[in-house]
Amino acid sequence: MARMEPEEPDIVSKALAKNRLGVPSVVFFGVAGAAPLTVIIGSITTIYAIIGSTAVPIAYLVTAGLLSLFTVGFVAMSRHIVNTGAFYSYISHGLGRVIGVGAAFVALPAYSLMQIGLFGLFGSVASGILGAFGLSVPWYACAIAAWFAVAVLGLLWVDLSGKVLAVLLVLEISIVLIYDFVMVTNPADGHVTFSQFSPAPLATPVVGILMVLAIAGFVGFEATVVLSEEAKDPKRTIARATHIAVILAGVLCAVSAWAMSVNTGPDQIAAQAGKHQTDLVFQLVGPHLPGFLVDVGYLLFLTSVFAALLAFHAAVSRYQFALGREGVLPAAWGRTHPRTGAPLLGSITQSVLAIIVLSIYALVGSDPLVFVFAWLTTIGGLGVLILMWAASAAVLAFFMRNRRRESFWKAYVAPASAFLLLTVVLVATCIGFGELLQVNGDSPFQWLIPALYVAVAVVGFVWALIMRAARPEVYAAIGRGTDGRVNVVPDSTSMLRALHADPVGARSGYPY
Amino acid sequence: MIIAATVIIAATVLTRESTAHQQPLSKGRGGVLADQYFLIAHEDRTGRSRLHPRATGLGLAAALLGELILEGRIGISEGDLIILDRHPPSDALAHDILDLLVAQPQHRDVRIWLAFLSQEAAVRVGERLSRLGAVEPVTRRRMLSTETLYMPNSPAQRNAAAWAPARLANLLVRGIGMSISDRVLIGLVAATGLTRHVLYDFEAHRHAFQSLPSAVGSLPADLRELVEYTEASVGSVVTVGRR
Repeated sequence: MARMEPEEPDIVSKALAKNRLGVPSVVFFGVAGAAPLTVIIGSITTIYAIIGSTAVPIAYLVTAGLLSLFTVGFVAMSRHIVNTGAFYSYISHGLGRVIGVGAAFVALPAYSLMQIGLFGLFGSVASGILGAFGLSVPWYACAIAAWFAVAVLGLLWVDLSGKVLAVLLVLEISIVLIYDFVMVTNPADGHVTFSQFSPAPLATPVVGILMVLAIAGFVGFEATVVLSEEAKDPKRTIARATHIAVILAGVLCAVSAWAMSVNTGPDQIAAQAGKHQTDLVFQLVGPHLPGFLVDVGYLLFLTSVFAALLAFHAAVSRYQFALGREGVLPAAWGRTHPRTGAPLLGSITQSVLAIIVLSIYALVGSDPLVFVFAWLTTIGGLGVLILMWAASAAVLAFFMRNRRRESFWKAYVAPASAFLLLTVVLVATCIGFGELLQVNGDSPFQWLIPALYVAVAVVGFVWALIMRAARPEVYAAIGRGTDGRVNVVPDSTSMLRALHADPVGARSGYPY
Repeated sequence: MIIAATVIIAATVLTRESTAHQQPLSKGRGGVLADQYFLIAHEDRTGRSRLHPRATGLGLAAALLGELILEGRIGISEGDLIILDRHPPSDALAHDILDLLVAQPQHRDVRIWLAFLSQEAAVRVGERLSRLGAVEPVTRRRMLSTETLYMPNSPAQRNAAAWAPARLANLLVRGIGMSISDRVLIGLVAATGLTRHVLYDFEAHRHAFQSLPSAVGSLPADLRELVEYTEASVGSVVTVGRR
C-alpha cells in the first residue's frame, strides 16, 4: 500500500501559521525601517538643498528599481542559508569568511552612524517645533531627550508593536499623499511639469551622489529577511514583502520629490530647499491647507524619526549581538537579558557611542542638520552601499558555485546586473564624495571617509586571519550567526552581573 | 513538618524515574525532564517565566522531545525526527505528543516541532505538574484578560521547586553521577540561558562551570543535536524580539 496521506489536517502548519507574519506585517516592518516620512521631509529637502539637481524624482525611481533587482538575488539566497540576519552573513557565505568579517567591521560603524545622524534630525526638528511654542530649547537638549528614551526602550527591547507601527505608517503615508496632492494641484507657473522624470541627468556625474543619498533613504528595507523564520511562508512572504516595501518607498519618495519641485517650479526648488530646510514641505502646503493638517504633519514627522531611531538602534544592537554570539566580537556582546531577550551590551554600546558623538557636536556647536544629520547619514549610507555592493557580489558567487534550483534570472541575471550597477554607483560615489559633504577641494574629507572604510575592512580581514589561526573552531562558525552554536557553555570569567544579566531574584528567596 | 512535606512532594516528582528505570529499552529516565525544566525556568514566588516566554517554551518543547528520546520512542538524525517505537509511553503528555508525531509524518524537521510544541508547552507541562501536586493553577486578572499560571503555592511545593535548580547545581559541583536525563537538563538549561540562575555563585560553582562542557558533550548524538537545535532556535527567536 502506498504511503497514506495524513487524514488529519496539517495541525502543525496551521498552529504555526496562526502566530506568524503575513505579507502586510513584513511590508510594514520593512517600510517602517526605511521611514518614508523621515526621508521625504528630512532627506529629500536636504538633497535638493545640497545637490541642487532637479533629477531627484527619477533618481528615487531608478534606485528603487536597482534595489528591487538586488532584492531578487538577495531574497533567493536567504532561502539557502541559515542565518539571514545581516549582510555580512551573506558575504561570508558567498565570498568567504575573511571578507565576511571585513564586511561586519564596515557594517558596525555604518549603521551606528546612520542612527546617530538621525538624532541630529530629531533634535533640530523638535527644537524647531518647541520654538514655535515660544520655548527656546537647543537642538542637542531635544536630541538627548530622544537619546534617553531610545536607550531605555532599547534596553527593555521594546520595539513599537506591529500595530502601533502600522497605524503610524498608514497615517504618515496618508499625510504624504495629501501634501503631494496639494503641491501638485498648486504648480508654480500654473502648469505641471514632468521634466523631473527625464533620465537625461542620470548620464552626468551627479548620478552617483544622487543615488547614494537615495539609497541611504531606503536603508532598513533589508531587515525584512530577519523575519524569514517568523513568516507564514518563508519562501514567498519575504520576497513579495521586500519588493513591495522597496517599490512603495521608492514611488512615494519619487512622487513627493516631484510634487515639491512642481510646486516651487524646477528652477526654484534648490533655493527654496536651502532657505526652509526641513520645513520646506510644510511651508509649501501651509497656504493651501487648514493649519491642523500641517501640525499633524509635524507630529507625524517626529514620530516617524523616532520610530526610525528605534529601528536602527535595534538593528545595530542585533548586529553586535550576532557578532558576539559568533565569537567575532567578545562573547559578552552575545549575551541577552534572560527575560526580555534584549542584547544588552550591543544596546549599551550604541547608546554610549551616540551620546559621545552628540556631546562632541553639542560642544563644538555644529549645525545639526548639515553636520549631524546630513554628514553622518551620508557617511553611514556609503557604508551600507559598500555592504550592498559586496552582498550582490556574494549572491552571484554563491549561485555560481551551485544554482540550487533557483531560476536563471534569480541566480545569475538579476544578481549580476545588480552588481554591475552598484559598482557604477559606488565608484561614482567615492569619486564625488567630497562634493557630497560639501567640502573644499583640498579638504581631507574628499578621500578620508572611503579610505577609513577600506581601513576598517582591512582590520576586519586581519582579525579574521588572526581568528583562523588562533580559534579555528570559532572561525568555522562565522556567518552562521545566531543560528550557529558556538558554545553551549558561557565562559565563567566575563562578568555581566553588574548589568543584571542574571534574572532578578536569582540570589534571593531560596532556602539554601 | 514542612521538611517532611517537601520530601513527600519531591518524592512524587521523582517517582516516575524509578518506574522508567525498569523499562529495559529506555536510554534513561523520561518523564521528569520537562517537569524539572519547568520548575527551574519559572519563578517559584510569582510563577513568571525567568526567560523570554518564547525561550522558555522552546526549552520545555525540547525537554518534552527529550523525554521521548530517553524513552527510546524517537530519535534525531541530521535535523529530522525519526519514530523508533510507536508504543505509547506511560505518561499522558508524552503519549499525546508521540501520537501527534506519528499523525503528522509530513513534518520531520526538529526545529518545526520545537516551534510547534513551544506554543503550548508551558501550559501542558504546568498541567502535568499540577496533576502531580507540585504546582497549582492560579488564575490572575490582567488588563483585559485572565491568565493561568502554574506555580508552587504551599511552602512545601515551593521548597520542592527551589530544590530543582539546587539539585542540578549540586550535581554539577560534584561533577559525577549525572544520569543522561540530568545531562540533557543541563544542556537545555545552558542552551536557553538559565546557567547563571542555576550556578548563581561564581566561587562555589567554579568547578561546576568546568564540568558543564563534558556533561553536555558526552551525551548521545541525538540528544546533543536536540540541545544544539534548541540553542539555535532560542537564538533566532531572541534576535527577532517578538513576543
